[in-house]
Amino acid sequence: MVGQGRYLYAISRDLDPAALADVPGLGGGRLDVLEHRGLSAVVSDVDLEEYGEEGLRRNLERLEWLEEVARRHDEVVHAVAEHGPVAPLRLATICLDDIGVRRRIDEWHAALEQVLDRVEGRREWSVKAFAPRAAAAQPAESAAPAEGGAAYLRRKKAETLTRAQGEEQAMQVAEEVHARLSAVSEASRRLPPQDPRLTGHVGTMTLNGAYLVDASRGEEFAEAVRAAQADHPDAGIDAAGPWPPYSFAMLEQR
Amino acid sequence: MTSSVEQHPLGRPDTQQAGGQIALVDLLDRLLGTGVVLAGDVVISLAGVDLVQVRLHALISTVREEMTQR
Repeated sequence: MVGQGRYLYAISRDLDPAALADVPGLGGGRLDVLEHRGLSAVVSDVDLEEYGEEGLRRNLERLEWLEEVARRHDEVVHAVAEHGPVAPLRLATICLDDIGVRRRIDEWHAALEQVLDRVEGRREWSVKAFAPRAAAAQPAESAAPAEGGAAYLRRKKAETLTRAQGEEQAMQVAEEVHARLSAVSEASRRLPPQDPRLTGHVGTMTLNGAYLVDASRGEEFAEAVRAAQADHPDAGIDAAGPWPPYSFAMLEQR
Repeated sequence: MTSSVEQHPLGRPDTQQAGGQIALVDLLDRLLGTGVVLAGDVVISLAGVDLVQVRLHALISTVREEMTQR
């Protein structure tokens, strides 16, 4: 039988349900706050036709569906973050009913407490850096029509070397920027570089960093970003945030 | 989402706008946990690029376990 499931958005503490009264859940559903063992779970009803195993398999491959769910999930997490520490759940964490939600909380209780302690009063910033795009490669034929074979090979070798050095240098810049920002953060992570076809960026992404920054150190962090930008004007250093601490609150679900 | 013109909005970060809308690609990076390599059943693609393989049984294990318990 397929019926309704409970979609789990986030875990918090001492969350007043009234705080979420104006925030719609997925499909316009009402958000409920389930209190269990000192934790507040934010949930809403979803149709298992859409969110059950078969539904997810089908729907996760539809970008419009995925974006809608991700955006709604994010809005709920943002709203919760306004009122207290938040441990966002991975997209599409679904239980059959409230009993199931409570069972999950029992199972993850210690980890949830740790996550909430770690992220309380802190937000996530994203900082990216890029390798400056190498000068457009000249087609060998048109560049040097009269060039001999040996000269051609020498030039190609030199070009390869220069490119390798450029990449090496860009990677070092990324390491250095990451180290500087990590020094003014409570925690940091390097996410895999993103594909330029998705982001429209030019050049190679050398740093896709996530930084957990304490509210009291926001200005210090911003200053570190500005200093890195000034030191590496070619690296395209780009900061965005503050966001809920997604990269530092994901629970491992096995 | 196949034309190159449409790809840009995915990646526009809210650089100037503190706390503004997060770029979809950044959001999915985080919500789907691409920080770890997932051996997956479903490959999520944006603009023809494989973004992440989602371990579907991990996502829906909750429901499945409960279903079998009843």
